[in-house]
Amino acid sequence: MGIIPLIIWLIEDLLYVIIFPGLVTVMVLAIIIIYIERKIAGKVQMRFGPLWVSKRIGGALQSVADLLRFSFQSFIVPEGADRLAFILAPGLMFAFSMIPLIFVPVGPYYSLLFPAGLTVLLSVALILVTPIYAIVIGWSSDNKFSFVGSLREAFLLMSYEIPFIFSVLSMVIFYRTLNYIDAVASQYRFLPGIILNPVAAVVMLIVMIRTTGRFPFDITEADSELVMGLFTEYSALFFGVGMATPYVELYVYSLIFSLLFLGGWWPAPLYSPGPIMGLILPGLVVVVKAFIVMTILVFLRSVYPRYRLDQAVRSGWGYVMGLSALAVVISILEVIFL
Amino acid sequence: MSESSAKERKLRNPIVGHIRALAKGFKYLVEPNRMTLDYPAETMKLPPNYRGFFTVDDKKCIGCSMCEMICPPQAITMIPRVQVQSGQTVPEGAGQGKKTKRPVVNWGRCIYCYFCFDICPVDAFVPSGVHDLAFYNDKDYRPSYEEYLKPPEEPYKNSKKVVSRPDLKRGVGYEPAP
Repeated sequence: MGIIPLIIWLIEDLLYVIIFPGLVTVMVLAIIIIYIERKIAGKVQMRFGPLWVSKRIGGALQSVADLLRFSFQSFIVPEGADRLAFILAPGLMFAFSMIPLIFVPVGPYYSLLFPAGLTVLLSVALILVTPIYAIVIGWSSDNKFSFVGSLREAFLLMSYEIPFIFSVLSMVIFYRTLNYIDAVASQYRFLPGIILNPVAAVVMLIVMIRTTGRFPFDITEADSELVMGLFTEYSALFFGVGMATPYVELYVYSLIFSLLFLGGWWPAPLYSPGPIMGLILPGLVVVVKAFIVMTILVFLRSVYPRYRLDQAVRSGWGYVMGLSALAVVISILEVIFL
Repeated sequence: MSESSAKERKLRNPIVGHIRALAKGFKYLVEPNRMTLDYPAETMKLPPNYRGFFTVDDKKCIGCSMCEMICPPQAITMIPRVQVQSGQTVPEGAGQGKKTKRPVVNWGRCIYCYFCFDICPVDAFVPSGVHDLAFYNDKDYRPSYEEYLKPPEEPYKNSKKVVSRPDLKRGVGYEPAP
């Protein structure tokens, strides 16, 4: 390989990671989804929602204004905190919630520095790293609210990790591949996964709601019990990063959901490997699907109250686990009989 | 089993409950049924018995300090003044006359209980009817006596005035003020 193709290849990969499905897209989508979440909650709860920042477009710049406000606040490290861990943990949490994006393809001709054979396995493994930093935050903050929040996160992590893995496993069994591109190709040939195995899709949705702290499982940062949960002691941009992390996770989970269950880049044509037809058009299809999933999940905020910790943990070890086992059985039966 | 208990059992079924909650939320999302005001653009015209911020009538007040005594959060301070011939008071040393006291309210402490209105033997407190004021710094909370005497200005004068009325569908509704 000559030096110039290598450079072009590197630049393409950088653009992939930084701009299109990566960082910039994530931040823009996070800002939009936060606005949509607040507006939907406002409408359902008989009020206006954000309105007075840029009134002509319905308060759409409210999230941008919040971001600006976070950036100009001063950052305070509490006296008893473990200083290094306290400062590093939110950034690492954010970074590790982004890293699975490397293994989540949004187009059929995508390849990055890593072999594309085990992408499902690698992304699932990396997604489950993020909550560890939640526990680090709770430990380092020297605050009882943060600590209780991190303990709750640990309990819930234990109870919902296995259903998530089972749900992905059932689709892996059905598609007989550990690679997203082959999984989507198999959905092109047959039917989208949500029709083939709806139980697995329901389990995956419940786990997504749980892991990203959306509403019925808003237990780790229960505002009325733990002041702000994990982020009680944080201020300024660190608080903003901490608040943005669940939305990044939501985006990654929604991408995985749309790849495994909604047919990925399904209506997009498959024949040309160029940058526009090969990456941007299928990528847009996937991102739009993921965005619709995100919108449905943030809609839950306006409807549900909060589960207690014991109810959530019991449901995690109970019926969610049962459903996920059922999903695996369904997949095995379908593989045998179809 | 009566019919009502069967209905209750159906409601207690978690799946039915989830679907009903989601459907109700979606219904409200599609046709918003708003019960709040678009606040600074529309403001409520309140009945006159809502007193809001208040000042004191300098001529009526007799300086008895009953308001200072009754004030639960100790927001009222009596400051020494001199009552001149016309009945007005001036700061000490600015004129000749009877030595007296006048109340000043610290708005940061006031809880708007209006005990001072109730206890005042000469009804010297004057309600302003202004309810919406914000202070930009700590100093504005503690006006001097001269600043306290000026009635506060209403902040949103050009807003649409509405009054509330009971509404069967959403609890409270609004109509333009008469």
